[in-house]
Amino acid sequence: MEDLLIKKLSFTKRPIPLPAEYRPMYKIALIVIILKYCCRAETSNLLKLHLFSWALASERNMNELRDYVTSNFKSDFSVWGIEPALNRALQLSVAENICEIVHGKNYKLTEKGNKFFEMIKADPQLFNIEKSFLTFIGKNQITDNRITAMTQKWNLFYVENQSN
Amino acid sequence: MLKIRAIKLEVNTTSGLFGAEYEFTNGLNIIRGDNSTGKSSLFQSILYGLGFEELLGGKNEKTMQSALKDQVEFPDGKLHPINQSFVYLEIENKEIITIKRSITSETRKAQLVDVFSGALITSKNEMLPSRPMYIHDKGGASDNIYGFHVFLSEFLSWNLPEVITTKGETSHLYLQQIAPAFIVEQKTGWSDFFATLPYYAMRNTESLVVEFLLSMDVFENEKRKQQVTSAKQQLISKWQNLFISFNRLAEKSGGTLRGLDQNIGIINSFNNIYIAIIKDEKELTISDFNEQQKEELIQLEKQQTTTVGNNITKNEDALKKLNDKLNQLSLNYEMLSPELNYDSEKLKQYGRQLEAVKEDLRKNKGALKVKSLGFELPAETASDSCPTCHQPIKDSLLPSEIKQTPMRIEDNVSFLEAQQKMIEVYVEGQERIIKEKENKLATYLAQLSETRQEIRDTKKELVQDERLPSVLEIEKRLNLKKRVEFFSKLLEDFAQLLEELKGLSKELEGILSREKNLPRDFFSSQDRKKISSLQENFIEMLKKFNYQSKPFEAIKISNESYLPVAQKMIGEQLFYNIKFDSSASDFIRCLWSYYTAIFKTSVTYQTNHPMLLIFDEPKQQDMAIGNFKSFLTELSQFKDQQVLVFASFENSDASFLEATKGLNFTLNRIEDKLIKPIALTSKV
Repeated sequence: MEDLLIKKLSFTKRPIPLPAEYRPMYKIALIVIILKYCCRAETSNLLKLHLFSWALASERNMNELRDYVTSNFKSDFSVWGIEPALNRALQLSVAENICEIVHGKNYKLTEKGNKFFEMIKADPQLFNIEKSFLTFIGKNQITDNRITAMTQKWNLFYVENQSN
Repeated sequence: MLKIRAIKLEVNTTSGLFGAEYEFTNGLNIIRGDNSTGKSSLFQSILYGLGFEELLGGKNEKTMQSALKDQVEFPDGKLHPINQSFVYLEIENKEIITIKRSITSETRKAQLVDVFSGALITSKNEMLPSRPMYIHDKGGASDNIYGFHVFLSEFLSWNLPEVITTKGETSHLYLQQIAPAFIVEQKTGWSDFFATLPYYAMRNTESLVVEFLLSMDVFENEKRKQQVTSAKQQLISKWQNLFISFNRLAEKSGGTLRGLDQNIGIINSFNNIYIAIIKDEKELTISDFNEQQKEELIQLEKQQTTTVGNNITKNEDALKKLNDKLNQLSLNYEMLSPELNYDSEKLKQYGRQLEAVKEDLRKNKGALKVKSLGFELPAETASDSCPTCHQPIKDSLLPSEIKQTPMRIEDNVSFLEAQQKMIEVYVEGQERIIKEKENKLATYLAQLSETRQEIRDTKKELVQDERLPSVLEIEKRLNLKKRVEFFSKLLEDFAQLLEELKGLSKELEGILSREKNLPRDFFSSQDRKKISSLQENFIEMLKKFNYQSKPFEAIKISNESYLPVAQKMIGEQLFYNIKFDSSASDFIRCLWSYYTAIFKTSVTYQTNHPMLLIFDEPKQQDMAIGNFKSFLTELSQFKDQQVLVFASFENSDASFLEATKGLNFTLNRIEDKLIKPIALTSKV
């Protein structure tokens, strides 16, 4: 039994691995390509950015959104994730002057943001899956009205759940 | 050398013929024109005539200014719409040719040029033979008859090197990619080294261009290395195919291949490669196994065929043993098959894990790349510093209350790569286990049906007429004979594959020794001299032009990119682009020095350089007139080569006189407007 008596324990803190989605520059780059490929006038509201950011997180999410668009918005598409990490990345990109806030609520790509986009675009390997997905969706599918319609459905869900 | 002898512009407007004509000599030519007189139009026309307009950021006539395309303004305020316009460019290498290309024309596309074999502008001989050629059209750069740039590289005696594109195909370096090293355009040309280099899906184009212009041997060496690598690749794929054939043969025999690695390697002893067969729970090589069978067959053939009656006791014993064997086999079979299911399920799981890790890895590599792009942008976040308050921040979007330190992305990538490797090892091991178990299961199954057959035959014989000869024995003998034949054939095939393997192993030895003989360092001694001459010239000119941002000891020419790099502090290991620590005007001095240094080194070493330098408005960033003068002085020393400098001299005669005082040069002055009416009478 005496062998098991531990006299002293010490812990060393080691750096932890982190998913790429939580890297600031990675997220900023995603914001840039989302604004460029999928937003009219390179401008988007917050919810739409969250929708695409959520979609790009996994193959499954991308498929779900793709099905929703190809089924002419008939398929079952309920909710998407809202993550604080994206908000932080947006703050950073505004501070970096990669995006700017217009009309107090929309995010718009700046000239510097466009330059960053050109740099990302020049490397065909970089974000190849993301780029082809975003180009597929294009600028005209997920409009502000669409987002509003989607979130309204969201409210109905919420009401139904409450009444149950 | 590529010498620009003369240029002529012909512009037909609704108010008659307009145009311009200039001749250039060896040595320094200064083309002086005040702002908005059309100096840049003239510069652009030279590029256009050579088909290099991609340096201006586009193709064909749309790169040209409206004074040559839409309407001429002469004098100020009066516009004349253009019906048709042409550029004539007279150039010389060993012979003289004149290029004619349309900018605006109803009938001729801008992709079409006429090449006249002679001096059309300076000798006024209009009866020269000409050939039509194409620029930029698909195939235009590779078609032997009509491709203007193929013609032009032959004209310059340039043997354009082959390079591997990012898609892995081979392609020639394009003339438009080489041009930015000796032609600098005004708008973007002064923003970076080779700033106007068009992108053609090739890697490290800048360094390829410098290697080509300085005729460096490193190119040849790189190519040899690529050849060895591709020969090795082919050998590896042959090896893999052979490995598969070996395994197929082993499968056919019901055994397992031993002693051969899937990965290529030199083999010294071929005796260790064999197919192992399990007999009575012991492993035998396939040839030993066949010898045993042959022996058995001989024994059987020696015996006289016995009758059924004589065999009754023996058969009854045999039947009992056979039944025991059958039970044992079924038991083995039933134990093994769920194990196999379990193993396959595990393999699928590993597969899913592998996919997830690979995706994670892809994203992390993207994150790494994006971070370095952000560094160039520059974004402060990429340097882990807050863009608003400039305090250091963690490379993470987690809330700052979380006190965990994230791994650096580089570590994260290597962490994931290690994980991927580990899972791949698991997968490989699991696949091998499954393969082995499947083989075993198949053997059990075969043995089961064989044993059942034997039981049936024995039972049949037990109830047969006692006087008949034993069918069982005859059948056994026949089966054995067939098997001996089968295995003998198999051994022959095996020997043949082994021969092939010997060939591959030998080939590999050859390739490996070729690989060893490749120079570890691809530079020849001549290359080293050229690089150090480039560096000396570069630094010497920086001194002359009064560069001050860095101490000269901290500057060198990179051996990889051949671009100037600098140390942050003297003695530090890390070198980085000289642009980062140079002031704006000092960076212009770098560009002047760099292009001129390449030129100067090329003059000393007789290289592929066209011996031509063209600068459009090099006096950028309010450069002091004294420094500009030093630059022109340097350029005026190339008497046997050609240098064209387009400059406005701040629209001032005083500046012009100060900058050019005492210099040897030819002046071309553009008075008021470049494009002027031409009296028709003077032409006849």
